[in-house]
Amino acid sequence: MVPTVLVVDDSPTVRKIIQMTLQREHIRVVTAGDGLSALTSVADETPALILLDIQLPRMDGYHICQIIRKNLQFRQIPIIMLSGKDGLFDKMRGKLSGSTEYLTKPFDSAELIQTVKKHLANWQERVPVQYENTRPRLRYRG
Amino acid sequence: MEQQDRIMDGDLQTLGLQSILKMLALSGKTGKLYVYSGPETLSVGLRKGQIVGLHEEGVPQPDLLAMLCLINRLDPARAEMIRELAQGDMQVTLAMLVERGWMTASEMQRRLEFAVTQCISHALRWVNGHFEFHRQLLPMDSKLRPLDIDSVLLEALRQADEWEEIAKEEVTHLTRTTVARWQPEVSKDVRSMGLNAESIEVLCLSNGELPLQAISLALMMPEARVAHIMTRLAELNLIEVVDTAFEDVLRQDLADRIVRSQNALARRKRGSSPVQYLHGLLIILADCINELLVHHGKHARIFRGRGHISSVEIMRYLARRFAPSLQPLSNQYPILETTNFSHGQLDCNDILTLDKVVKGQQLEEFYWEAVQGLHAFVHMLFAELLHDEVGSSSTGRQLTAAWRLFLFEFDQEVQQYQTYRAQRAARVARDRNATQPSPTGLAQNRTAVPQADGGSFWSSEKRRSI
Repeated sequence: MVPTVLVVDDSPTVRKIIQMTLQREHIRVVTAGDGLSALTSVADETPALILLDIQLPRMDGYHICQIIRKNLQFRQIPIIMLSGKDGLFDKMRGKLSGSTEYLTKPFDSAELIQTVKKHLANWQERVPVQYENTRPRLRYRG
Repeated sequence: MEQQDRIMDGDLQTLGLQSILKMLALSGKTGKLYVYSGPETLSVGLRKGQIVGLHEEGVPQPDLLAMLCLINRLDPARAEMIRELAQGDMQVTLAMLVERGWMTASEMQRRLEFAVTQCISHALRWVNGHFEFHRQLLPMDSKLRPLDIDSVLLEALRQADEWEEIAKEEVTHLTRTTVARWQPEVSKDVRSMGLNAESIEVLCLSNGELPLQAISLALMMPEARVAHIMTRLAELNLIEVVDTAFEDVLRQDLADRIVRSQNALARRKRGSSPVQYLHGLLIILADCINELLVHHGKHARIFRGRGHISSVEIMRYLARRFAPSLQPLSNQYPILETTNFSHGQLDCNDILTLDKVVKGQQLEEFYWEAVQGLHAFVHMLFAELLHDEVGSSSTGRQLTAAWRLFLFEFDQEVQQYQTYRAQRAARVARDRNATQPSPTGLAQNRTAVPQADGGSFWSSEKRRSI
């Protein structure tokens, strides 16, 4: 069984390159180009890790992160924020919204692989909370 | 696997695979034999001492349909139809080909038998390892006709001996997982080179994706024979062995450079005027070109296997290789004549500092011409360097896909400017018409066109920021 990583970024180039890089490491990658598709993918795929850009159409990364952290079923999923903003304030904001780690763009492949692998080390042990006869739902009250 | 089902186990050093199979055949056993050696695992299904199934763990099933298409044995449209229905199962694929009359039943049997022989031949060469035999019921849906172990062993041993022989004589250093691809510079007709049909088929399948083992399976030709032919094709400089470790480094380096360029595109400050907008695009293009040149200086085919190369030689090579490609573009976009190769980089400084020489509309026109020219150059540069570095391979295709997406993002930015230009041209035309009396007497609507300074066009909603 291979872990699934959800990549959320509005740039198709970044999505493709991350996909290409992680697939070489035998990691399954699903992608989303905006905030709402990202939440749908989280519910459908239950990824082992999320790589989340901050500046996204329809809903920003901070907001997505907060929604996921409030959901019992998905709150344990590590979220790595990807952003071109490397100021202390942005990193703090990312941390406060519940991100696990913060990667500054442009990242290099080796750094990305290392960070992803670090957080996937025990992904199989993280058993999500299961609700009988219910499809996992993420509610957005924006 | 239940513990009580395991009726026999041991080390391959004590009892070789050949002896184990013979023993199971003689005693007419039914069950599954698992053989482990390092990361490899082979499972052989037996019914009454005959082989009825075989599976190699962790070895991806080769895309037989694609291979048959490559050697002109199957029409790609038919292959696509079967692929959708079979979903990667080789036995189902073969059965469907037979069902539709695109393959004979006897060929299907031969293919299945060949696959079994090939795997056992490989496993016979395992010296260290472990085996287990489990007594368990086997599914009956196998398309494979039960195979007599003695005849399979005989053929498998013959194939294993062939490998041993070519390895001993050092005819080849290839292994069953070796992937080879066509040399990018080969353009001559291979039929005129005196290659036989077998060699041409191996050449067709050496597409940078298929391992030697898969080629052997597609052609039903022993692996040692395929290795022999591949070695000969490599000597003729028709194919090259793919160095996967090197390609990983190359792919990572190029991917990182594309990410950097994309990031620069997303983060650049958008000026309020078209001139500033174009200037921003020019900086991105110039940086992107130079990133690609640095990459090619490190990974060009010409420098491989030569150890340390002096930077002077790299710079000379880059100028020699790419300056001629810039020449025809300079005829189309004369502004590019102000660029030149210096220290292995494309020096665009004269273009980027044009604002010190010209202003206003003329500066904008120069910048626009430069954006178009450099865009055409970067397009050509990427295609040429990728062709040189990885030729036709999966790495090349993946990088091309990522690069196209980057160009798409870049083109979206260019389109914004093109829309502005078109609107401005329309406004100018309307202004010209407005000076003459309107024949229809209708009033002109000017509310939707941008202002002359372009200020209203570059609205905050259109700007993307990180």
